[in-house]
Amino acid sequence: MSDARADGSPLADRFSKRTGITVAVGVLFVLLAGARLAFPDTIAGDLFAIVTDRTTLGAALRFAVPITLAALGGIFAEKSGVINIGLEGLLIISAFTAVYATDTIAGEGAATQAELWLGLLVGVVASTLLAGLFAVVCIEFRADQIIAGLAVWLIALGLAPFASQVVYDGPNTASVTTPATVTIPVLAEIPFFGALFDASPFVYLMFIAVGLSWYVLNRTAFGRHVRAAGENPKALDTAGVSVSRVRYAAVLLSGVLSGAGGGALALSIGQFTGNGATMVNGKGFIAIVTYLFGNYNPVGAFLSALLFAGLDALQFSLQTVGTGLPSSLVRVIPFVTVILVLALVGRTQIPEAAGDHYESGED
Amino acid sequence: MSWRDRVERLLARLVAASATERLAISLAALFSSILVGTLLVLVAGRMTACSSAAFVLTHPTPFGVPRLFAVGFCYDPIAVYDRLFLGALGDPFSAGWSPRNAQMAVTLRETTVLIFTGLSVAVAFRAGVFNIGTQGQLVVGGFATALTVLAAAPAVSGFVGTLTLIPLGLLAGAVGGGFYGAIPGALKAYADANEVITTIMLNFVATGVVGYLVLNQFKDPTSAATQTRALPSYADFPAVVFDPRSNFSLIALAFGISLIVAVYYLLAHTSFGYDLRTSGLQPEAAEYGGVDAARTVVASFALSGALGGLGGALYVLMILGNYQTGVPAYGFDGITVSILAGNNPVGVGFAALLFGVLKSGTTVVDFATDVPPQLVGVLRGLIILFVAMPEFFRLLGGRMDRVQRRARRLGSTAATDGGEQADDGGDRNE
Repeated sequence: MSDARADGSPLADRFSKRTGITVAVGVLFVLLAGARLAFPDTIAGDLFAIVTDRTTLGAALRFAVPITLAALGGIFAEKSGVINIGLEGLLIISAFTAVYATDTIAGEGAATQAELWLGLLVGVVASTLLAGLFAVVCIEFRADQIIAGLAVWLIALGLAPFASQVVYDGPNTASVTTPATVTIPVLAEIPFFGALFDASPFVYLMFIAVGLSWYVLNRTAFGRHVRAAGENPKALDTAGVSVSRVRYAAVLLSGVLSGAGGGALALSIGQFTGNGATMVNGKGFIAIVTYLFGNYNPVGAFLSALLFAGLDALQFSLQTVGTGLPSSLVRVIPFVTVILVLALVGRTQIPEAAGDHYESGED
Repeated sequence: MSWRDRVERLLARLVAASATERLAISLAALFSSILVGTLLVLVAGRMTACSSAAFVLTHPTPFGVPRLFAVGFCYDPIAVYDRLFLGALGDPFSAGWSPRNAQMAVTLRETTVLIFTGLSVAVAFRAGVFNIGTQGQLVVGGFATALTVLAAAPAVSGFVGTLTLIPLGLLAGAVGGGFYGAIPGALKAYADANEVITTIMLNFVATGVVGYLVLNQFKDPTSAATQTRALPSYADFPAVVFDPRSNFSLIALAFGISLIVAVYYLLAHTSFGYDLRTSGLQPEAAEYGGVDAARTVVASFALSGALGGLGGALYVLMILGNYQTGVPAYGFDGITVSILAGNNPVGVGFAALLFGVLKSGTTVVDFATDVPPQLVGVLRGLIILFVAMPEFFRLLGGRMDRVQRRARRLGSTAATDGGEQADDGGDRNE
């Protein structure tokens, strides 16, 4: 039935691989701590100081926001049987639209915090519309999901810089207000973990989204329908629930979540930059890997997103410390990690009917 | 349902569609994309500010009919497509047009590189794997070409130099791209890593690492740009018929066309091609028939990467004359070229020409109009989207068919009614 069994690699085997990676990360951490004590002035020593620094955690949380939100969206879509490889495109389109909307709503002066949230909402709408187009193409017109997903990415990759060029006469937009940090008194004083309570509102939004997604997916009727649409659409159909409606809802939800992610990414910097791979720069694809690594569990996806975001935060800190490692090489680390993780985890427990068009018996 | 099964079904479906239908779908997709692109240009033309409208949408006013509406747009979609298609060919309808004009050379030059990236994606598709990494393979191949030629250049010179350096550079590009392509192939075959993601990640890695190497190890000290030293002039493809300044060589195009034939022959008439296609269509059957599936995946990825690497080699040898960072998105265009061509090597030739026109026309559009050149990037995505949904056009075609039939029935006598109804019924059962 599932690929795991067909492969002859039981669940326990896969589980041990995940555990293995987690243990490896732990061992690395202890080694770094040892290096810090033994050789405080080396790169390894510096690295430990950076890893345990609360600004690193703060940066990692900030970087994790777009990846986690897109991954949550990807989980819903893929669990329902639609592989959404266009998450990257959804992030790009919402990143541009959120900044553009905030800038337009604010008019001449600087945007207020309320206007910024309104801008985020418009970004979410744009991403949801593009996800809706993707859903129609895949569900109604039975397009191949991978190719349609690539198309969504490439359309957004062209459209956002195009629109920016039209409006701002360049691939980068104007700058807008960034969100004010929300500090929770007392808790923010805790060493290291205080970063969790002294963060951008988008970080809290991410926490809420992770919790809600887990609850919806595992504890509600809609979550059951989503899982059934991906695992056994026939049974869902027999039970009288429309498979395509569930899939539409799940794909639109992936648009909403990715839209929040893309909007948060651009608004937390206050600008959309559209050169080359745009400011999104592969985060949508990293999101796919995080939910595969997190085994379609929202909490697991968040934790692996935090791991990737942590690597990104690390490379930024390394650049400022100046360890002699060239920044262009350090920047490659997260991408290499994605490849390594994929190679180690191997084939994941992809939902049985993912990627398939479902034809209802009646019509 | 695994990725492999999915690919298998997709390919089975693609092959099931007849060649004529595929051609019709590709043309319909192209036409639809242009239509959507027109709307986009009009909407964008309303979003931006200009002193006078470039295009006014209104109705004719014969015999003093009052003008009811007139909407002005800052961008003129007709001018955009005129420049995009006719501009790319150097205005074939103007007086004194010669097929050897400079813009035509640019078009054919882009076509040449796109033939290689298109073939690269097509070979992988035929083997049942997605290679989104042609861009990275092109970057690595082009870089390998530049390094090899720079290292070998002092040993030779003159005509002998051209005769040895160009094949050597091409070989280096193919080997570099081939090895880089084999990585995701091996990861897929032996570690079951999803090749769509690994190839996209390897694109980022290639750009980052090669960018680092050029900047820190092989940079031309006399230039501010991130680029290697210039290759000697005798390592350039000799210009034939066209102006040498146009950076286009008919020899390179001929090489591309001969590779189309070679890949076609390889796929259709050799045992390796047979193994490759069967493992793409029916992996279980192929394995049963004695095909080593893992090795076929690695081999087809290596071949795909080598073709992408050759594209990089041509880009370096023919167009740049050194290696520079900021390589154009030939690899991603290769995906569109291959999908538009239905992954058929011969179709790749025509689709590459179309995209050569689009890429070359972009510069003309940029020069002649205010419309942002990124429009072509949007068209690229739209074409893929439309080609991906043949069902849409089938539905559309079916509906038009029904309307025509109904119109015919209305015009015909009652005597033929029964027969046509039966015809209709048969249609519905399809």
